[in-house]
Amino acid sequence: MSPALVLDRVAAAYGREPVLEGVTGVVEPGVAVALIGPNGAGKTTLIKAILGLVPIVSGRIEVLGTTPEAARARVAYVPQAEALDPQFPVSVLQVVVMGRYRAIGWGRRPSRADKAAARAALDEVGLAQRAGDRFGVLSGGQRQRVLLARAVAQEARLLLLDEPFTGVDATTTDSVLTVLHRLRRAGVAVVMSTHDLSVAHLACDEACLINRHQVAFGPVEDALTPELLKATYGGAALLLDGGATVIAR
Amino acid sequence: MWGLFFEPFQLGYMRRALAEVVILGVLGGVVGVHVLLRRLAFLTEVVQHTVFPGIAIAFALDQSLLAGALVAGIVAIILYTFGARRVDSNALMALLISTFFALGVVVVSRRTGYQSDLTALLFGRILSVDQRELLDTLVIGVVSVVLLVVLHKELVLRAFDPLGSEAMGYPTIALDLVVNVVVMLTVVAAVRAVGTVLVVAFIVTPAATARLLCRRITPMMIVAAALGALGGWLGLVVSYEGSIHHGWRLASGATIVLVLTAGFLLVAAGRAVAVRVRRPQMAMAPA
Amino acid sequence: MRNLVDSLQSPLYRRALLEAVLVGAVAGVVGVHVVLRRLPFFVVAMSHATFPGVAIASALGISLFLGGSAYGLVVVAAVLVLGANRALDDASVIGVVLAGSFALGVLVVSAQPGSSRDLSAFLVGSVLTVTPADVVTTVVVGAGVLGVLGFLQKELVLGAFDRSGASALGYRGWVLDAIVLVAVTLTMVTAIPAVGTLLAVALLTVPALTARLWVDRVGAAIAVAAFVGALSGVLGLFAAAIWSIAAGGAIALATGVCFLVSLAVTASRNRTGRRLPGRAGGVAA
Repeated sequence: MSPALVLDRVAAAYGREPVLEGVTGVVEPGVAVALIGPNGAGKTTLIKAILGLVPIVSGRIEVLGTTPEAARARVAYVPQAEALDPQFPVSVLQVVVMGRYRAIGWGRRPSRADKAAARAALDEVGLAQRAGDRFGVLSGGQRQRVLLARAVAQEARLLLLDEPFTGVDATTTDSVLTVLHRLRRAGVAVVMSTHDLSVAHLACDEACLINRHQVAFGPVEDALTPELLKATYGGAALLLDGGATVIAR
Repeated sequence: MWGLFFEPFQLGYMRRALAEVVILGVLGGVVGVHVLLRRLAFLTEVVQHTVFPGIAIAFALDQSLLAGALVAGIVAIILYTFGARRVDSNALMALLISTFFALGVVVVSRRTGYQSDLTALLFGRILSVDQRELLDTLVIGVVSVVLLVVLHKELVLRAFDPLGSEAMGYPTIALDLVVNVVVMLTVVAAVRAVGTVLVVAFIVTPAATARLLCRRITPMMIVAAALGALGGWLGLVVSYEGSIHHGWRLASGATIVLVLTAGFLLVAAGRAVAVRVRRPQMAMAPA
Repeated sequence: MRNLVDSLQSPLYRRALLEAVLVGAVAGVVGVHVVLRRLPFFVVAMSHATFPGVAIASALGISLFLGGSAYGLVVVAAVLVLGANRALDDASVIGVVLAGSFALGVLVVSAQPGSSRDLSAFLVGSVLTVTPADVVTTVVVGAGVLGVLGFLQKELVLGAFDRSGASALGYRGWVLDAIVLVAVTLTMVTAIPAVGTLLAVALLTVPALTARLWVDRVGAAIAVAAFVGALSGVLGLFAAAIWSIAAGGAIALATGVCFLVSLAVTASRNRTGRRLPGRAGGVAA
């Protein structure tokens, strides 16, 4: 089975400014990778490059066996919920159904089967009873879960999550971890950017450390060592006695 | 008494005006909801002023006002796209609005007796709509509404989550262009009825009123379309009654806009009262 | 050209020239603050908002200043109250209120006899019929506005760039804002006889934008804007005489022409693509 994601010496830039270079790694189906690095390190840029939204200046990205642009229908992106307007007049269910729009196609309306699939995804994140509420009245963590449900409803083979655990409550964290675990067992590959090292250990098999260039890419136990973290975060990483590392953002 | 609402429309020109205003009301309502969702109200303002010289020139040359407006609108968009690289966009829009408008004024003023031409172009001549214009409006209306309905879910997605829609592979620029072009077509169609300065009322006011009344997009569009058509009808009735039976000279286009605005204010006030009555401790509840 | 020479003999025309130069210069200066504080949209809105007030005041025979400014304040209040509803964005609320107000103004004016002429006079001016009283008003109001702006120039610029810094130094942000908004309103109403409400926007934004293409410092921008504003007044009136077109429109158009010419000339000077406020550029006081 071909890998879900292949990154080969990927470099990206904004105009003349290089923002990312030397990113190399392979993500097999069912594997979860934590994208770790300080703010401005290029994590979001890498995610956007995998989505084909940002051009790369050198190297190669292969998504689900083809180019990022061609693979988009089978790649789901879970953004941060705060970017969305809470006043927008859509219901929770409508947001989840949005994940299936590509499959439904231009000019056609969502069918009962689509709505049923959406409800199932909502149920999986524990929000089935809020289906009729306006998206914006839910809490931050709940909205994040709705966006995850949207990605689940899309039936994608690769999931890209932008800091899914930042600033969310414990219920949301549990719910997201459970869903991700189920997806990985089903062979879906996951890439998530995060600052939370404990989550990285819990939810991910591999870690990619980035600070404008790749510091490491490998299994979590090998990559999340104090030395490598210090190399990634610079002064913001604090080595404690006993080998633990704390990151101050 | 109820005859009042139908009496004016025994006259041919009033029937045509009514048809024009109803089509524009429905079109404006549907387009207006998209304008609200994408926050394009200022752009609409800009378009309505920048098509003016096109209309003035077409009027002077006795050509199709529609074509003139389209050309002017396209030129404005091109100038804006290039100008936005060197000048702040907010100021650029004000510049385009005022200079294009000035050009229109200058063109109109070349003819003698220009003040009445100017007022006609600025405030519309809904009562002198002819068959051909009515047909134009109908075609624009049908094409625009069909386009918006067919692309409905994609347009809503793009308005709600632009990044998400791009990530899913939707051509965001093309979707934006569709809405912008439809807005421009609506402005051009409405300009002949209510004039360049009042067009924004046809597009934004019914939709804003519907926004206060409805919680979901599809009902919002239906309500906005109904309000637009109703406002048009009532406005014509009021201006007719006022002119014929009371001797007041009420400009039809302006009366329609005033009726639509009054509707908005009524709903806004009613909502404020209802919110206070239902939940006195939460004075500003979300929609 | 003979038209022009003939026109220059007429005292009416010479008075119109004087008015145009004065209004252009004052508006140019106020415009620098408008652009600095990113207020062009507000100015467009005010041009629509003052119209009904002016129309009603004229119908009632009371001062146009009072009418225009009073109604302007009513509009501001309405926008603030209606804008509190978070479901509607500001531009939409403003659009609704302005279009409604404008319709009101149209009705008021069109209900009177001889309305077409008055309507267009309000909207696009009739500078060739300015009275000596109008000119005196322009001088007095203009001097007052320029005086206040000149006196407070440092503070206004600081407040525009660094609100919190200015507050920290003890300047009340809203007072400075209010001063500029009042200056804009007064200038706009003063400009009505010359160019009308809708075209006053041109004088209040374009010369200032033109100035920014040439110079980087506020003091210099003020001088250039005043010059360009006055120049537009003159060019516009000359064009009106030569080609028999509406003077107000010609003046506003002249501002656009000056801008375009400046854009072309300075483009070759600045290959690096220097940006104006709101982009990466900055302005030294």
